[in-house]
Order: sequence, then C-alpha cells, then structure tokens
Amino acid sequence: MIVAAWICLSSPLAAALAIALAGSRISRRGAGYLATASVFASFVAACVAFFALWGDAPHDRSHYSTVWTWLELGSFSAGLRILVDPLSTMMMLIVSGVGALIVGYSVGYMDGDDEERRYFAYMAIFVFSMLLLVQSGNLLLLLAGWGLVGLSSYLLIGFWQERPSAIAAAKKAFVMNAFGDATFALALFLLIQHTRSLDFDTVFARAPGLSSNHWLVNLVALGLLGGAVAKSAQLPLQTWLPDAMEGPTPVSALIHAATMVTAGVYLIVRTHPLFELAPKVEDLAAGLGAATLLLAGLIALVQTDIKRVIAYSTMSQIGYMFLGAGLGAYANGMFHLMTHAFFKALLFMAAGLVIHALAGEQDIRKMGGLRGLLPRTYWAFLVGALALVGLPPFAGFFSKDSILAAAMHDGWYGYLLWVGGLAGTFLTGLYTFRMLFVVFGGEPSPFVREHLIRPRRRGEAHHGEGPFSMTSTVAILAVLSLIGGWIQFAPLWIPVTHWLDVVAPTLPHAEATSWQEGISSALAVGLGLAGLVAAWLVYSRRRVAVPRLPFAQRALEHKFYFDEAYDLVFYRPGVATARLFGRIVEGLVVGGSIVGLGRGVGDAARGVARAQTGLLRTYALAIAGSLAVLVVVFISVR
Amino acid sequence: MTTALILLPAGGALLVWLLPWTRFWAGSFALLVSLAEVGLWIETLIRFDFSRPGLQLGAHAGWFGDLGISYHVGLFGFSLWLVGMTVVVMAAAVAYAFWTGRERARAYFGLQLFLTGAIVGVFAAQDLLLFYAFFEAMLIPLYVLVGVWGGPGRLGATLKFVIYTMAGSLLMLAAVIVLGIQQGSFDLVSTGTSGNTWIFLGFVAAFAVKAPLFPFHGWLPDAYREAPPEVSAVLSGVVSKAAVYGLLRIAIAKFPGPTHDVRVPILVFAAIGLVYGSLVAFRAPDVRGVIAYSSLAQMGLIVLGLFAANDLGFDGAILQSVNHGLLSATLFLLAGGIERRTATGELSRLGGMARGRPALATMLMTTGIIALAVPGSSAFAGEFLILAGVFRQGWIWAVIGAGAIVLAAMYMLRLISAVLHREVGPAVPDAALDLRPAELGFLVPLVACLLGLSAWPAAVSHRAFAGTRAKQAVATELASSRTPVSAAAAAYQRCLAALEDAEIVITTATDPAASARAEKKLERGCRTPSGAIDVTISVSQAGSP
Amino acid sequence: MTLGILGPEVSWYLAVAAFLFATGALGVLLRRSPLIVLLSLEIMLNGANLALIAFARHNGSGAGQIFALAVMAVAASEVVVGLGLIVAISRRHLDLDVDKLRTLRG
Repeated sequence: MIVAAWICLSSPLAAALAIALAGSRISRRGAGYLATASVFASFVAACVAFFALWGDAPHDRSHYSTVWTWLELGSFSAGLRILVDPLSTMMMLIVSGVGALIVGYSVGYMDGDDEERRYFAYMAIFVFSMLLLVQSGNLLLLLAGWGLVGLSSYLLIGFWQERPSAIAAAKKAFVMNAFGDATFALALFLLIQHTRSLDFDTVFARAPGLSSNHWLVNLVALGLLGGAVAKSAQLPLQTWLPDAMEGPTPVSALIHAATMVTAGVYLIVRTHPLFELAPKVEDLAAGLGAATLLLAGLIALVQTDIKRVIAYSTMSQIGYMFLGAGLGAYANGMFHLMTHAFFKALLFMAAGLVIHALAGEQDIRKMGGLRGLLPRTYWAFLVGALALVGLPPFAGFFSKDSILAAAMHDGWYGYLLWVGGLAGTFLTGLYTFRMLFVVFGGEPSPFVREHLIRPRRRGEAHHGEGPFSMTSTVAILAVLSLIGGWIQFAPLWIPVTHWLDVVAPTLPHAEATSWQEGISSALAVGLGLAGLVAAWLVYSRRRVAVPRLPFAQRALEHKFYFDEAYDLVFYRPGVATARLFGRIVEGLVVGGSIVGLGRGVGDAARGVARAQTGLLRTYALAIAGSLAVLVVVFISVR
Repeated sequence: MTTALILLPAGGALLVWLLPWTRFWAGSFALLVSLAEVGLWIETLIRFDFSRPGLQLGAHAGWFGDLGISYHVGLFGFSLWLVGMTVVVMAAAVAYAFWTGRERARAYFGLQLFLTGAIVGVFAAQDLLLFYAFFEAMLIPLYVLVGVWGGPGRLGATLKFVIYTMAGSLLMLAAVIVLGIQQGSFDLVSTGTSGNTWIFLGFVAAFAVKAPLFPFHGWLPDAYREAPPEVSAVLSGVVSKAAVYGLLRIAIAKFPGPTHDVRVPILVFAAIGLVYGSLVAFRAPDVRGVIAYSSLAQMGLIVLGLFAANDLGFDGAILQSVNHGLLSATLFLLAGGIERRTATGELSRLGGMARGRPALATMLMTTGIIALAVPGSSAFAGEFLILAGVFRQGWIWAVIGAGAIVLAAMYMLRLISAVLHREVGPAVPDAALDLRPAELGFLVPLVACLLGLSAWPAAVSHRAFAGTRAKQAVATELASSRTPVSAAAAAYQRCLAALEDAEIVITTATDPAASARAEKKLERGCRTPSGAIDVTISVSQAGSP
Repeated sequence: MTLGILGPEVSWYLAVAAFLFATGALGVLLRRSPLIVLLSLEIMLNGANLALIAFARHNGSGAGQIFALAVMAVAASEVVVGLGLIVAISRRHLDLDVDKLRTLRG
C-alpha cells in the first residue's frame, strides 16, 4: 500500500522530468501520451492503495511512511513523509482519476499548439504537486504541495505567454495565493512554537492542550483559513479565479474546478482538530462559504464568457463545501468535493468542446442554436448542468442537499446559512440554464453559421465535436456525473461518511435527521427547478422582459468592485511607496549621501593642498618649526 | 586540508600571473584550478565529521608570538557549507569569464583565483588579525575587477565601493585591535567572550557595509550594475556571505551580551531592509537592478535569522546564505547572458524571450521560482526556518517576513515575465540564440545544486551546527534543587561560544512541579547574569517515551 | 673616565656643533641655489656628527662614533642623489633656483 502510494506520487513527476529532459527528442503527441499514461498509472496505484486500505480494520487505517528528513532542527523535524489514510486515498483517487481523464482530453484539445511538450510537462508537475498536497504526512510538506500547485497554476494560466492578459492573470493568481501561503506559514510558526512539531499525529495529539489559550487557537485556525480561502477563491480573496480562465480550458477543468481550488476544503477537513478548537473561526469559514456562494451566483448571472460563468459557479459550489466543512459536516463537504469534481470537469470540458468547435470563441452572446449542431456536446452539458443544479438522480443532488441539511441545527446562525444555501440553489438553476439556453437553444447565431454551418456545407474538413480523446473522456465524466452520487444517499446509506469517520468524524451538531434531510432536499430541488424555469422563461423562447436595475447590473458586471477596491487599497499605494523609495530615498538620501561624502572629501583635500606650496623653504621651515616645538615640549614636559 | 583549500587558488593565481600564458591557456588553467578546488572541497566534505562539535581540519602555526597572533585556520560545519558555495560559484564565474573572453586575461584570471583563495581564507580564519588580512585581501581584487573590467560607469561605482568598504574596514581594524589587546590574544577559539558594546558595534558596522544592510547599501546598485556580470555574481553571492560569517563567528559568538542588548535595533534595520529592498526591486527598471535590490532584501532576511539568535534562526541563516549565493550567482550570470544577446538590461525593452529559447526560459524560470521561495524550494526552507526562528523573538518580525514573501513573488514574477513573456521587446533581435552548451555547462550545475537542496535542505541546515547532539551533553538533572543554575548557564555559554546548539533539555523526575521549577530557574539563570540570548527550554520527563 | 679630560669640556664641542648646525639651517632656509642648499645641509649633518662624537667621547662608548660613520655614509649617498638632480635640472635648462622649482605645489 505504501509502495503504491509512493508510485502514485512519483509517476507524474517522473513523466514531467522525462518530458523536460527529452526536449525535442520526444514527439508532441508522445509527450501527451506519456503524461496521460503517468497520471493513469497514478490512478491505478491509488486504486491499489485504496483497496489495500479497505482491507484494514477501520481503526487501523492510518499509515505513515518517511523516506528522508526534509528539514530538521533540534526538537522539530519535518520529513518527506506521506500519509495514507481514508481521506488521503479519497483525494488521491479524485485527483489522479479526474486528472487522467483531463490530461487525456488535452491530447486532443492542445493538438497543434507548438508548445505542447511544455504544456504536458506542466500538467504532470501539477498532478504531482496536488498528490503531494493530499498525501503529505505533515503540515510543512502540505505547505510545499500547496505552494507547488500554486506554481503550476501560475505556469498553466500563463501558458499562452504572449498574451499580456494571460500573464497578468497568472501573476495575480500567484500573488494572491502567496498571500494565503504567508498566513498559512504564520500559523505553522505558531504551531512549531507551541507544539514543537508539524506532523499531523503529533500536532493533533498536542493541540487540545492549547485550547485554554484562545488567542493562540484562533490565530492558528485563522492562518490556516487564510490559506484555504486564497487557494479556494473564497471571499475576500476570490478575484483571481475568474481571471485564471485565461489558461487553456483543460487547465481550468483540472486546476480551477476539479482539484486545486478544492484544496482549501481538504485543508479544513484535514486539520479539523485545530479548527474545532476555534469554533468562531469555523463559523467564519461557514459564513464565508455562504457569502461566496451567493455573491458568485449573482455575478454569474451577468457574465458573458462561457468559462467565466462556470468559474463563478465553481466559486459558488466551493462555497457550499466550505459551508459544510465549517459546520463540521466534513464527510458531506468531501462528498460534494468529489461529485463536484465530476460534474464541473464535465462542464468545463463540454465548454471546451464548444470553444474548440468555434475556433476559440468564448463569448456566449455570439453563440446560440448549438443544440442541433453539437448534439452529443449538448447532452453532456445538460447532464453537467442538471448535476450542478442538484436535481435527482444526478450527482449534485446527493451531495449538496446533505450539506444544507447539516446547517439546520446550529441555532439562528445555522438557519441563516441554510437560507443562504437555499437561495444559492435558485441562483444556480438560473445562471446554469441561462448559459445552457443561450448557448444551445434558439436558432444558430450568425457567428455560429460562419464557423460551423458554412464549412460543413462546403464539405471542408472540420473537427466537429472533437477527436476521440476528447469525446470519450467527456462521456466518462458524464456517466460519473450521473451515477457518481449514488454511492451515498444521506438517510439510507452513507458509506462515504463511514469511510471518513476515522479521520474526520462529523460533529454531532452537524448530523442531520431524516426530516431535515427531507425538507432540505425538497426545498433545494424545488428552488433549483424554479431557477431552471425562470431561466427558461427569460432566456429561452418566451423572453419575458426583466425589470432592469442599472445600478445592480453595473455592480454585478464589476463583480462588486473587488478588483477596483484592491487596486486602490493595496496595489496603488504599494507602487507609490516603491516609487517613493526608488526615487527619493534611494536617489536622494542613499545616493545623495555618498555624492555628498565624495564632495566633502574633495573639498577637504583642496584645503589641505593649499599648504603644499611647492616652495622648498616652506617645507624646511615647517620641519625646523616642528622640531623647535617638539624640543620645547620635550624639555618642558620632562 | 583547509590550508590546501586556501593555497591552491592562491598558488594558481601566482602561476597565472608569472607565466606567459596566452589568453586561452590562462583561462583554461584558471578554470582547471577552480574545478580542482571544487574537487578538493568535496574531499574535505567527505573527511568532515558532522557529528563532532567544534573546529575541524585545523592548522595552527605561530606568527607573531609576542602579540598573540597566529596562523590558525579550520572549519566548522557552517563554514564548510559557505566554502562549498564559494568554490562552486567561483568556478562558474571563472567559466563565464573564460567563455566571454575577458581582456588582459592573465591579470583577470589571476585576480579571480586570488579572490577565491582570500574568500576561503575568510571563512576558515580562526585568528582575528588573520581574518582581517583575508578580508582585505578579498576586497582588493574586487576593486580592480570592478574598476578595470566594469561597464561604462565603473569608476564611480568603484569609488563608492572603495569609500564604503574602506570605512567599514577601518572600523573593523580598530575593533580587532582593541579586542585582541583586551583579550591578550587574537585567537578566536581560545579567547572568551567580551561585553564591550562599542567593539561589537565596530564589527557590526563593518559587516553591515559589506553585506550590505540597509542603510549602508549606497554602493550596491552601482557596483552590481557596473561590474562584469560574473563579478556581480561573486559580489552578491559570495562576498556578502563573508559578512554573514563575520556576524555569526565574531559579532554574535564573541559578544553575547551586546548581541542581546542591541538585537532589537539590528532586527529593525534588517526588517526595513527586507521590505525596502523588495519594494525597490519591484520598481527597478533593469534586470540587474531587480537582482541587486533583491539581494539587499535577502541579506536583511538572513540577518533577521542571525539575530533571532536561536537554533532555527542560525540554521536558516546558513541555509539561506548558501541558497542565496547560488541563486544570485545564477541570476547574475543569466542577466549577463541576456545582456550579451540584447545589449541592454532594461526591462521595458526586453520581452518575449521564451519563444524559441526553451533552455533560457527553463533556466530563468527555475531560478526565479526558487528565488521567490515558492513553498517546497530550498529558499522556502531557508526562509521558513529563519522566520520560525525570528518568530520566537516576536510575532511582528515573522509577519513582516511573511509579507516580504508576497513582495518577493511580485518582483520576481515581474522580472520573469518582463524578460520571457509578453510580446517580443524592441531590443530582442530574432537572431538572439538560446543558451549555448557552454553557458549551460556552468548554469546547469548551479541550478542542479539548487534543485538538490530543494529536495533535501536538511543536508545543509541540519549539518551546519553540530548542535542537536551536543544538547545531550548539556542535559542536566536540574530538578534537584541543589544543582546550581549558574552551572547550566555556564554550560549554555560554552555551547554558544563554540557555536553549538543553544538548546537545553532538562530531564527531570516524573514530578511536573519540579520540572516547572527547574524551567523557571534555568530561564532566570540564562537570561539575567550573562545577559545572553534566551534559551529554548523543553522539558522532557524521564521515563515517559 | 680618563679619556674625558684630554681636551676641552664637552660643552665647547657642543657649542661648535650648534654653531655649525645653525649656520647650515640658515643656509638651507635662506639661500636659493640648490647647490648651496645642499652644501648647507652637509654643514648641518657635520654639526650633528660633531655632537655625536663629542658625546661618544664624553660617555666613553663607541656607539656615537659608529652613528657618525653611518651619517657620513648617508650624507655621501644623499649628495650623490642631490647633485644628480641638480645636473639633471641644469641639463633641462631650468633655473637653478629653489623658489622657481615648485611643480609639487598642491
């Protein structure tokens, strides 16, 4: 099992190194197949580890393995140490499974790009980093994986490096994530100081001893939450995710939907003993999740870029996961993470098929009537959309509703979150089906005619719905989005919760009763359907006129002015200070001081030089005079 | 062994100067000598016993017996790593110079080799006056290298460099003489500590100029911009570490009292330098400017670690010194390669160099990413240790340092994307080639060292001080109320003076109240009478696992 | 002891030495010709020599006489250099006047 876990971790890294070192000796397509094969090998190894773990007794399902000490000091040491337990195997399966599908999909999607090798090397590095993140056995290595996924996200967002917008988006993503890394690191410093360790088992064993120090436990949890919020694009560090859509679509599917952005949820679940010591911070996490899911749902209503709409829906869905994890319903959050990985990857990849067919166009206003032209894509997209809205029997129904049910306990705050989550389901239905109707419904738009119908009529070769590598992977994900939720149906059978119970048992106050599940499910499905119907009324044939609110619309289109505010509050003062330092302090004070020093030395030298008359007799007189003075001094002092 | 490390390059320098080599042969001989020096260092590494505390591979010979001056060299764990970084970077610098073909090759390569010997001497000297002699011997070739082979503004740059470092050196000379006469001997190993704040400040000022630390960095931008790229690499990568070594070996080890008293102002200046350097680097208009100011920031960070004055901080400072030496050398050599191709270093005129130049892009990207301390890299490991160490002095330092990590990401990414990404800049000719195999020949080993350190930073950080094993030696049964606390404090002082671990483990009986008492006592004992650095105390109970 | 009384008191010698030294010093300070300046320098040195020898005789030790010999050797070499310089100056048709040779002015 341990060997399988190590193979799982190292195989993508080996592929990345091989592609990087081989350079042009490997064909572009060969690089793609190599990367796919390596990630698939990871998936197989993850399956092996999973079944081996399955065979263990439930209480004996944590296995650590250290190869060497990464950093060691006195009483504190952090090894290159992996942990195989139910939580990490679940994440390994998701990451390597969905990862293998998406990397395989990219073989078709990236075909013809002249830097394909670099792309696949980056993808393999990403999968390695993400596996490192979920498999690490201590917080320092987790932070290392945390930073490396941010790095590969930076590399892949900026993959098309001639585009200034892509480079700017990549830098923005990295810097906002670096902010999260910083708060994460600060939390680790506190833990080092007070528990003298970063290993999960030791820290969690010693953490209850810290609970009397409220400041400490709150700060640690806040620092970890800062990292989670930045990585998962939750309020208030959410602005990088929509811009990250500048990257290739499979990247958005893998990194910015299925795996990396959900790492924040994983972190909260993994370090839940620390969060449970700070209930206020847990409530904050749940509240941030609820706020983000509403905010992102609202913004998604006015977006016109197909990938950005899905990106906002990702933010919103991660909001649900934060809500669940913050409330203590860890298994529900993780279950939603899994189903979300399926259906959100499906949506992105179906959108990728659309973009691919339309020669890179992403603006939904130019699309329309694609249903007849790309039928298989339409069905895949529809499955994804229904799963996203959470209608039975699609995957989202099983996972999202139990999160809402978990919120119904926690006093007025819980009910507030519950109402927010329900409102979110209405918004989800609305924006998802707005997108679906605008893109696929109605008559083909002029742009679509130009790109899809005319080439077909002329009998020109057109890739249609994409090559086999793309359509087959989309089909697999569509099936998973349909049946993936059936493994857990909250009131009746709960294998996921049982599986995770040894690592992260659901808190008692987050365990929902059957009637809570029932009410939540009924309301959520009803509201989701209502959103669907509203979208149908407004955006499909009927075109019901909506009262216009220019102010609200402008606020939504500017994404509630977060970018502008950060620009005004952080970036501009920072640049101004830097310029001030560069010009005034550096130029005048530091540079000026040395010029002044030089000038002073020059002036002094000129003064002294005047004594050098060049007259021999002056010198002789000086010698004689000094001698006389010396004689007098000697005689008088003695 | 240590003497051989010093004499090999110095002897090579003499041969280069004296024999009538052609340009090609002078260069290849110098390269050969510097590679032999690397081999010699590896041999030293193999012979070095990391489990043994104290000085190793030493050599001692009388010099001016009546003044207490002697030729005394030897290596500690951390100086071994600094020497290793030095010889690797110097070999790369010589290779770069050989590849670009410097004018007046014999003089040039002789100076480079002499410089190597002098720097190794600085890291090995165990006698104050010998240290000073090596320190000056290190500066003189630098004046010439910057002043003769530099860019168009080299004279002004050299003048500033000379004025600043001379002022620092004079202060240090005064401090050396006063300290030596007070102690009756100039030997660093056998003499005890001193409590004189003024001597301490003399040393600190000299090293602060050399590092440089804010606000003594007036010479830095010009020198780093005008020197030949490989000399900039040596200046920022290696020579600045002489200051780190000096601060650690002399200022902190010999002056525990003043270190404790003056620590906060020094930490303040280091933190200001960290933030200030990062901010100015973010607005610097050219490649070398970004690297130069990032060096200022990094030196601030290293000094934060040093004056955290605990095991985490020391280990982190040494690890980060090695990292930064390799990083800034690689970056300056890359900057030199870029300037050779485009005839400019201005970021506004560069861009788009990644397309069609995969080797250049990979090298710059890898180095830049390690330099911005992405978690998982060796620079991250160093920064993490430093900040974890300085966190014990106060959370504010760690918060500033963590903020500087964000700033580092900003300026490094700006540099990377301004050179590699966006549309092709006006100064970038289409004919500009990718890195040549010869350039890869000296860049790849540097980057390989960095990647190796990223995989295993503990190789350096855990082997810099023979500390963790020494703590058992100090372990005492302080629980019994009769054990004098001053004995523990003295043991702690000895440890500190020998630059060993500053950690004391108290093994007590199973009575927790007794161990708490002992902890209190030890804390009092270590803080007040010696005025020393506070001690990290962990209590482990005998019998419990 | 007995050597000390075979002649005048030591103060007489010192008086002569002082007189010689003063004469030389005045010559160095007042004369303009480098040749005469050099000559006056020699006179000063000889004054010093006389004092050295007188003290040596007075104290009965030979050290002073050795010093005087060393001074004479130095004086001889100094004359060699000085005269060489003067010849060089006159070869270049410069005025032999120390007030006009002031190229070392700062």
